[in-house]
Amino acid sequence: MPTDTKPKVATARRVTAELQHQIEQHYYTEARMLQDELFREWLEQLVAPDIHYWLPVYEQRFRRDKRPAPTPDDAAIYNDDYAMLKMRVERLYTGQVWMEDPPSRIRYSISNVEAYHTEIPGELQVYSNFTIQRHRRQTEHYTHTGGRQDLLRQDGTTFKLARRKIDLDARVVQDKNLYFFA
Amino acid sequence: MLDLDELVNNDGSEQSREIFWNQDLYQLEIERIFSRCWLFLTHESLIPKYGDFVSARMAEEEIIVCRQKDDTIRAFINSCTHRGNQVCHAESGNARAFICNYHGWAYGTDGALVDIPLEQRCNAQVNKEDCGLPQVRVESYRGFLYGCFDAEAPNLEEYLGEFGWLLDTWMIGAGNGVELLGPPSKSVLDCNWKVPAENFVGDAYHVGWTHAAALEVMGGELAGLAGNRADMPFDDMGKQFTTRHGHGFGVINNAATSIHIDRADYDTFMAEQLPKVAENLGEARADLFNGHWNCTLFPNNSFLYGTNTFKVWHPRGPHQIEVWSWTLVHKDMDRELRKKIQIGAAFTFGTAGTLEADDGENMMTCTHSNRGSVTRRGTLRSTMGLNHEGPHPDYPGIVGASFIGETSYRGFYRFYKEILKAQSWDAVRDNDDSWDSTFENRDFWKNRPTAS
Ligand code: FES
Ligand SMILES: [Fe+2]
Repeated sequence: MPTDTKPKVATARRVTAELQHQIEQHYYTEARMLQDELFREWLEQLVAPDIHYWLPVYEQRFRRDKRPAPTPDDAAIYNDDYAMLKMRVERLYTGQVWMEDPPSRIRYSISNVEAYHTEIPGELQVYSNFTIQRHRRQTEHYTHTGGRQDLLRQDGTTFKLARRKIDLDARVVQDKNLYFFA
Repeated sequence: MLDLDELVNNDGSEQSREIFWNQDLYQLEIERIFSRCWLFLTHESLIPKYGDFVSARMAEEEIIVCRQKDDTIRAFINSCTHRGNQVCHAESGNARAFICNYHGWAYGTDGALVDIPLEQRCNAQVNKEDCGLPQVRVESYRGFLYGCFDAEAPNLEEYLGEFGWLLDTWMIGAGNGVELLGPPSKSVLDCNWKVPAENFVGDAYHVGWTHAAALEVMGGELAGLAGNRADMPFDDMGKQFTTRHGHGFGVINNAATSIHIDRADYDTFMAEQLPKVAENLGEARADLFNGHWNCTLFPNNSFLYGTNTFKVWHPRGPHQIEVWSWTLVHKDMDRELRKKIQIGAAFTFGTAGTLEADDGENMMTCTHSNRGSVTRRGTLRSTMGLNHEGPHPDYPGIVGASFIGETSYRGFYRFYKEILKAQSWDAVRDNDDSWDSTFENRDFWKNRPTAS
């Protein structure tokens, strides 16, 4: 299922308040794991083996421009499967990532969580917004805002991330890299 | 006042720390380098049809590059000749005209001023012929479009000189050459533009240390370099090149595809291309075709052939750049392979790249540690491999013995000093026959019987 499908809000079935609560709590746990550098646990426990993790490059075009929005066949900053995410994670455990030593700080605020059932039982289409603050070294500070479109799979009482499309608001990235998991 | 002779020594092996900090020097660089050299704009394949345009940049100037009805390409300054407003805010598209948002002056796809609203009724008193968007010289090398502000500058082919012969290794290759996939990713980095330019022109030295983490996880031939632990026959594993006008690169033999994680199809493709490259261009360049290249085309266009990333470092003052990155692919690659290459290049050298992420902080602090005026009195050095280099029997320019060395740093800074000092391109032309005399060991390759 492509991650950029707009929800048919009128017809799509919203999740119950209880499920909504579970999803929000899941996102907070995910954020805390990433803040605490529990990258392996994040990948093993929260990410599905068939993940597509995608952050496309958006060009600023005129409204009249009829070219389609980017697809996974186009330029991207992340266009990762599980094996690629795993390499990104494992790199952080080599002890040789000099720019993370001393470690930097990252903090996530997740909001605007909006969840719908898809046609497939146990699969949920979830929208959310993020603000990510990175602090490095003495005074470096970067803020990233954007939205996420996730496909979550219910897995008992928890969820696995099967698709994530990240829409970063900044066209020109105001940071030396985007090597973090949004 | 700036003493240019104090900034860089004669052979380019020592530089004052001022080069990464000084505001006056930056202004001089804008005038004497960025206003006189050929700067990368875009690739022809990204504007295939009449009216297709991209917004490009030449240092701090905003530029529109547009394909014309007769299939030629024009470039002009993206700033209205009325009150200076930026005329086009889209990064790319197809246009029949560019209309200014402020008062509605309309320019054709060739940059000519075609309409002034209320011109007659309100007595505009403007001679339209004189008020087109200022044109910029634009020329193509194998489809790569470069712009130049200086009418006296050599044409692009002469500016590249022997570097063009080397680039033909893959810009012609098996016949059809290469092109770029866009749109470029863009990011801001707080560093002087020369830090990444010198890094790409000749810094294989940092690969094993800066990128140890990524190499260890990703494996491949270069993993052996990780942590600088290996005892390797560095002199037989590659070379460095510097040519006229400061262009240069380092090549690691037989490592073209080595940083790609999903590379089986790429390896097959390269193996198929190689005999045709040898037939077209000869064995000397066929050897280079299979290597991994880190290059800078002077001043600020850097690329990694093999890893497929193609970049411009746009200066934004002395302490900041904007990085624009495209993906470099062979035209003969099919859709599937192009996609793999594009994903692989982003994975390593995109904005979130596993290797790119290692470089940013080095580049930033190499710049900002010079803000202290006492620190700034110091000197920086690029002496590695000095005199282990010279004219080569098979290749043009000056060739250094090992891919780990600073030959092409010296070539870059030697020309940097030359063009900063030169009053005009004619003064640069006067040195065309003697530019490489600072590389003094003329018989290095002759006296090296095992050299190939
Ligand atoms: S500034 Fe462009 S029309 Fe006036
Ligand atoms: Fe690097």
